[in-house]
Amino acid sequence: MAMKYFDELKRSMEFLAADPRTLFLGQAVAYPGTAMSNTLKEIDPRRLIELPVDEDLQMGMTNGLALAGLVPVSIFPRWNFLLLAVNQIVNHLDKFPDMSNGGYQPKVIIRTGIGSVRPLHPQHQHVGDYTDAFRLMCRRIEIIRLEEPHDIFPAYEKALHRSDGLSTLLVEYGDYYNEK
Amino acid sequence: MITQLKAQDLIDFETEIAGFFNAAQIRAPIHLYSGNEEEMIGIFQDIRAEDWVLCSWRSHYQCLLKGVPREQLKAEIMAGRSISLCFPEYRVFSSAIVTGVLPIAVGIALAIQRAGGSERVHCFMGEMTSETGSAHECIKYATNHSLPIRFIVEDNGKSVCTDTRQTWNSPVLTYENSSHPLVHYYKYETKYPHAGAGARVQF
Repeated sequence: MAMKYFDELKRSMEFLAADPRTLFLGQAVAYPGTAMSNTLKEIDPRRLIELPVDEDLQMGMTNGLALAGLVPVSIFPRWNFLLLAVNQIVNHLDKFPDMSNGGYQPKVIIRTGIGSVRPLHPQHQHVGDYTDAFRLMCRRIEIIRLEEPHDIFPAYEKALHRSDGLSTLLVEYGDYYNEK
Repeated sequence: MITQLKAQDLIDFETEIAGFFNAAQIRAPIHLYSGNEEEMIGIFQDIRAEDWVLCSWRSHYQCLLKGVPREQLKAEIMAGRSISLCFPEYRVFSSAIVTGVLPIAVGIALAIQRAGGSERVHCFMGEMTSETGSAHECIKYATNHSLPIRFIVEDNGKSVCTDTRQTWNSPVLTYENSSHPLVHYYKYETKYPHAGAGARVQF
């Protein structure tokens, strides 16, 4: 049976949750509210940290949790929302090893999405793919677009197990939840 | 207290660094403290080695008082890294971006709380930073979730050269007369400019 996009995302989240170092944070992680919320339904609620809507706070807390040795999975439902966390991604997470002579090498997993445009188009502020722009801004964060269902699990497996000092930002397509 | 450093030890360190900078031997910005030595030593009375200390671009005193050896700190400063000094082995993290360390400190405190640890986080900021939305959000979150953290607001009245009170049109700052349980506020006057050591340096 062909793997479905949503099912692979859900399987990946449950794979991450099996590692005691991980926790999941953001808006609509412990509550329903986005398509991504449904991929977290089977995860122990104690591992889900529902945060106020405050992307800079969320990403800074993500960085702090990682500095303390955890592997946070920080969830931003759309690129448009992630833009509000750019300072903590570009000026901080991406620069930690340089600022500390390689002493701080936190591992962070960031999950975001390209807003769906079918069947409803959410208009200008809820769509867009900023992958290429972020690749230009970040040297120590690998940014992976999840094009096909079979891309998803290996990408999260790599994000969790990598030992090259990089963090990982994984980009989903909102439309593919229904289409692939 | 981690070290036995006295106020004069701190003053002597900054004086030495100022001399190197004015002699064009440091090819990067430095941000020096002065006038707050006793206050800083008081703050460090109950900071332990296992605690975390987070700072801004001005952090020489915190590094020394957290136990970073004088010569190791000096080497980092001479190498041009004064602006964001980080020493993982001493649990010191600094950021040269306004508000940068605040949510990071909250995240570290949350990790400690979830692990049931006894460590604490001490997060330093200037008075302009303390007036930002980020400061309010971080202090509110930490307070409401009872996180093991303390925020220290250091008020020298200026953000670079800008008068903080004048820009906000507020003669009294948010934490100036506050008895907030997680905030320690103090005021001081420094003899040094925002960056550098007061002399024009020709590199």
